[in-house]
Amino acid sequence: MRLWTSTILATAVLAPALALAETTLIMPQQDEPRTLTPAPSSDTGGHGPTSNIYSHLVVMDWGIVEGVAAYGDLADSWEVSEDATTYTFHLNTDARWHDGEDVTSEDVKFTYERIMEKGYTFSSFLRDVKSIETPDDDTVVITLNKPNMAFLPMMAQGAQWTGKIYPEHLWADQDGFDTGPYVNEPVGSGPFKFVRWDRGTAVVLEANEDYFRGPPAVDTLIFRTIPDANVARAEFEAGQFPYLPFNYAPPLAEAPIFEADPDINVVYTPSHFSRDLQLNLNHEALGNPKVREAIAYAMDREQMNRLAFNNSWTPGYYAGVSSLQKWINEDARFPEHDAEKAEALLDEAGFPRGEDGWRFSVKVTGPNISDCSAITEILVRQLRDVGIEAELDRFDQSTWFSRIQEKQFDISCYFGRYGPDPDAYREHFSTDGARNFMSYSDAELDQLAAEANTIRDEETRKEMYGRIQEIVVRDMPYINVFEEQKMSLVRPGWTGFAVMPGGFNKSISWFGVYGVSGPDDAE
Amino acid sequence: MKLLRYLFYRLLQMFPIALFIVVINFALIHMAPGDVSILLAGEGADPEYMEQVRERYGLNLPLYQQLGAYIGQLLQGDLGLSFRTREPVIGIIAERIPATLLLAGTALVLASVLGVAIGAVMARRPGSALDTAVTTLSISLFSIPVFWLGLMLILLFAVTLRWLPSSGMASIAGPREGIGYALDVARHMVLPVLSLAAIWLGQYVRLSRAAVSETLAEPYVTTARAIGFPERRVMTRFALRNAMLPIVTVLGLELGLLLTGAVLTETVFSWPGLGRLIYEAILSRDTPVIMGAFLIMSFTVMLAALLTDLVYAALDPRVRL
Repeated sequence: MRLWTSTILATAVLAPALALAETTLIMPQQDEPRTLTPAPSSDTGGHGPTSNIYSHLVVMDWGIVEGVAAYGDLADSWEVSEDATTYTFHLNTDARWHDGEDVTSEDVKFTYERIMEKGYTFSSFLRDVKSIETPDDDTVVITLNKPNMAFLPMMAQGAQWTGKIYPEHLWADQDGFDTGPYVNEPVGSGPFKFVRWDRGTAVVLEANEDYFRGPPAVDTLIFRTIPDANVARAEFEAGQFPYLPFNYAPPLAEAPIFEADPDINVVYTPSHFSRDLQLNLNHEALGNPKVREAIAYAMDREQMNRLAFNNSWTPGYYAGVSSLQKWINEDARFPEHDAEKAEALLDEAGFPRGEDGWRFSVKVTGPNISDCSAITEILVRQLRDVGIEAELDRFDQSTWFSRIQEKQFDISCYFGRYGPDPDAYREHFSTDGARNFMSYSDAELDQLAAEANTIRDEETRKEMYGRIQEIVVRDMPYINVFEEQKMSLVRPGWTGFAVMPGGFNKSISWFGVYGVSGPDDAE
Repeated sequence: MKLLRYLFYRLLQMFPIALFIVVINFALIHMAPGDVSILLAGEGADPEYMEQVRERYGLNLPLYQQLGAYIGQLLQGDLGLSFRTREPVIGIIAERIPATLLLAGTALVLASVLGVAIGAVMARRPGSALDTAVTTLSISLFSIPVFWLGLMLILLFAVTLRWLPSSGMASIAGPREGIGYALDVARHMVLPVLSLAAIWLGQYVRLSRAAVSETLAEPYVTTARAIGFPERRVMTRFALRNAMLPIVTVLGLELGLLLTGAVLTETVFSWPGLGRLIYEAILSRDTPVIMGAFLIMSFTVMLAALLTDLVYAALDPRVRL
């Protein structure tokens, strides 16, 4: 109750002219935006504001678990040609830029073409685009060089970060999306308009009353920079804002405390990411399939879950995550914990315990995220129990990332991605896959992955991805450990956040708050 | 005339020192592992785009050329453009300085004035129960980690009692100018100033207590007392004035660190100052901003040292410039 009172009081005191109570939503975020132009590069502090100011052609949100990979934002509907190379999008005819101009198909064409020309991050999602045509103001026709079943879902995912649509009439005479007056004073077509950016403090947005889906329930939207996670949590508890996003990651071990509190709703959100181990096959011992299998046996997911996650994560025994639903092959399963079997396999593989009790040594590393730290700490103990001299090796995020790219690691915790389209397997496991840091290579898998992406018939695709999962579980270049689960805290009465099941396709993107309403907005 | 010449030489000396600092900073930052271009382009970016990014930021050039280009720029008074925002570094830094000066300046004035006064009073009653209590307290204050103290203050005053705002410099929806704004900022300042001042305070109490009790034992103080000067006059005119020398040294050092001393406090309290800018710049490897901030900080340290020497001369006639 305190929260409402304070919001109402604050508005009443500060803006006496406004008789009605307004809903102000403060969204805490760890990073200050670099800029407010989304295309040139990924920007953790900028995604929140820009996702609410700009619109996308198609987008998705955490609702991937509902089984829909992409939904329309500016696009009301679309058709895909028989050969899966021509996509025809029909735009919403009511969409307007914040300056009142009409949003047209030319804006989409202009934005995508410039992104491709400049080679901005989003261009990798547009790799296969042959041409973009605009037969009329509300129709965009994108033609691909070759069929690509992942095109639409991947484009919808990438749009969250860097694939937003810019107004051609304001940007046409700029050299790129990183120069000019609209870089930090954005004009978009989304549910909120830019008001101001107080450097180091907050970005303030206001409801766009002319939004083509109707005005949002939140009147003032503020993205506040709070770098310290402890402070963010203290402020959430003090009622300063109604939503504590998962990236402030209160330790999962504390979940029972929050669950017992009637003034807090704990929201768990599944994702299409896992936590897994990448094994570097260039390592003398890890290159041996038996050793990799032994590691899978040595690992005890249940113990990790108990110690690190308060039993709230789902152990990952398949080469996929539950949110992938129909694509999972349940016959391809990683082994369960069996330390004796692990020791036997290691003996068989030619790595008996030496005089000091050790078989061989490995370094275990991972990205600088709390769950991976917990997993690797426990893993090290479990490996040592079967005679593998494992040690932790920790780095800051960018060092870790360049080391695994240079294959300077033995075992690393990793965040495998399986959605929004199973084409992700190609990225992880094909010989030249961008996320294949393991030096894994299998000719059959390469061929399957390349082909499966071009096939429209779902049953056939499913069979092919099922086979890929069998191969991966057979060879174990990686071992799945957990399905990622995000935990966020929400005050009762607030609904529609993207992380909540009810927020699906209403929030408009992962960072969107269009669907959010507070207790005062109850109708 | 002599003073002017002295000043001139001292200012001249700053340039080779600054150059040295630039080179050292440059080397340190570039010795750190990790690839800035990954951070700039985003993980999993196209190798082609990554190459483009490297070229645009001059990261593809050999190190000595990057350093040369940077020094050339500096000589023209240009600190370069931030990697993160593509805005001039000088503007980014200038924007953050007032907030830091306000926070750290207030805390420093509060800590030094209060600390010196308390220390002087304690020096007159060495060994008393009050003295022991204050000494213990000041050592504890001095040794508390500032971010922990900050968090505890937030928990107590902002979360539990709800008397004061927990972080930020002003209410976002609050007044933007006038007396209302000043009051709002003042309310936001209380906790960060308190936590910063508390830590400095301990140091000044200890310093001033030691210095004053030392001078009180000097023969000229005994003489002054024997002549019959009132105790208050002995304290201010003879003891405190001479005890000021070590205090001024420390104050001068701290004045130089004014811009840097608040990194942790600013981060905990989400204070939009220079300290947090540096913290963010380091996390994102924004080399031009880090270098620019370090350079400006080293200049303030040098200026503060110069100022200290000048004040020294004024306080102590034995020091001739």
